[in-house]
Amino acid sequence: MDDVISGAYLFTGERSARSYRLNKMAKSFTDAANRERFKADEESYMETSGLSADEKNLVRRRDWKGMMDYGASIYLVIKIGGVTGHPLPVIGNHTAGRSI
Amino acid sequence: MATIIGGIGSSHAPTIGVAYDRGQQNDPNWAPLFTGYEPARAWLDAIEPDIFLVVYNDHANNFFFDAWPTFALGVGAVHKQADEGWGKRPLPDLPGDPEFAMHLARSLVDDEFDPTICQDMAVDHGVLSFLPLLTDTDWKIPVVPLAVNVIQHPIPSAKRLWKLGKAIRHAVETFPSDKKIVVFGTGGLTHQLHGTQFGQKNEAWDNEFMDRLESDPEPLSNLSLQEYMERGGTEGVEMIMWLAMRAALGPTVKRIHRNYTAPFTTGYGLLALAS
Repeated sequence: MDDVISGAYLFTGERSARSYRLNKMAKSFTDAANRERFKADEESYMETSGLSADEKNLVRRRDWKGMMDYGASIYLVIKIGGVTGHPLPVIGNHTAGRSI
Repeated sequence: MATIIGGIGSSHAPTIGVAYDRGQQNDPNWAPLFTGYEPARAWLDAIEPDIFLVVYNDHANNFFFDAWPTFALGVGAVHKQADEGWGKRPLPDLPGDPEFAMHLARSLVDDEFDPTICQDMAVDHGVLSFLPLLTDTDWKIPVVPLAVNVIQHPIPSAKRLWKLGKAIRHAVETFPSDKKIVVFGTGGLTHQLHGTQFGQKNEAWDNEFMDRLESDPEPLSNLSLQEYMERGGTEGVEMIMWLAMRAALGPTVKRIHRNYTAPFTTGYGLLALAS
């Protein structure tokens, strides 16, 4: 099977491995207390989540396309969008290289 | 023995839940969807199902990639609502049916499907987005959720979902009970949530899929996942879960109701079939 279909990355086990920490931090936002901790101090939360310097930069820059290029799952990226106030159309269009 | 009295194919999407909670039933964009569910709901009320068996997928709200099951069965007495990252909806937790669910587990394993058995599996919009449009939200009808991996590749083939539907039918037919069961296949229809084709849907394919699912469904199980994703987007691959519903109904069905509307980036389909 192709790695890119319909202009989008397939989220494979290999991508899942690469983006594991970023996805895991995003998953933590399914807990309201974690969302509040992140909003109060993003840097500290990312440090505690074990993100690498590159991963932290992706989040700091709200670089949705960069997160997808890095290997994250769209379903986890939208949770980072949720906690930072970026709805799916903003994220999706950014990954498409469009601005709205 | 228990019987499958019908099937529902339905899209699931967080936006449906948001629109429902905000009372946007009469909004011009949403009215065709909400009114489109009313005849299916009236039919369900009339046939009085005892159990809803819902084939759906989790969107990293209950499961995570530390251990991501290909198939997972909720056998608990209660299925909590998952917080998807923006707070829970004002809905009570769903009742389960442990007796039927464990029968289903045994039967599926005998038939060489091996679901992860979950005593405490929270459900997300894959189940809860459309359900309030089809039944009262005091949830009188217990729900048995069967989650399928359509998120992290490798994911099971369309053929595998077809066979899952047949195995579901076998399980119901061997359940020593007079329970009447409605099987749901959820997800899709076509949508693309990221990448250069973000926002694209394929209304022609959505409608062809629903045509063929009703009248000549088995060839749909011969399509590759790549074909599904080329036609309907990488997230549109959720459509394969409708095949399990259709196979569970057996060869001959009667269409009760069909609806299609696509006001935004996803094709919202609904198909109600009596078996």
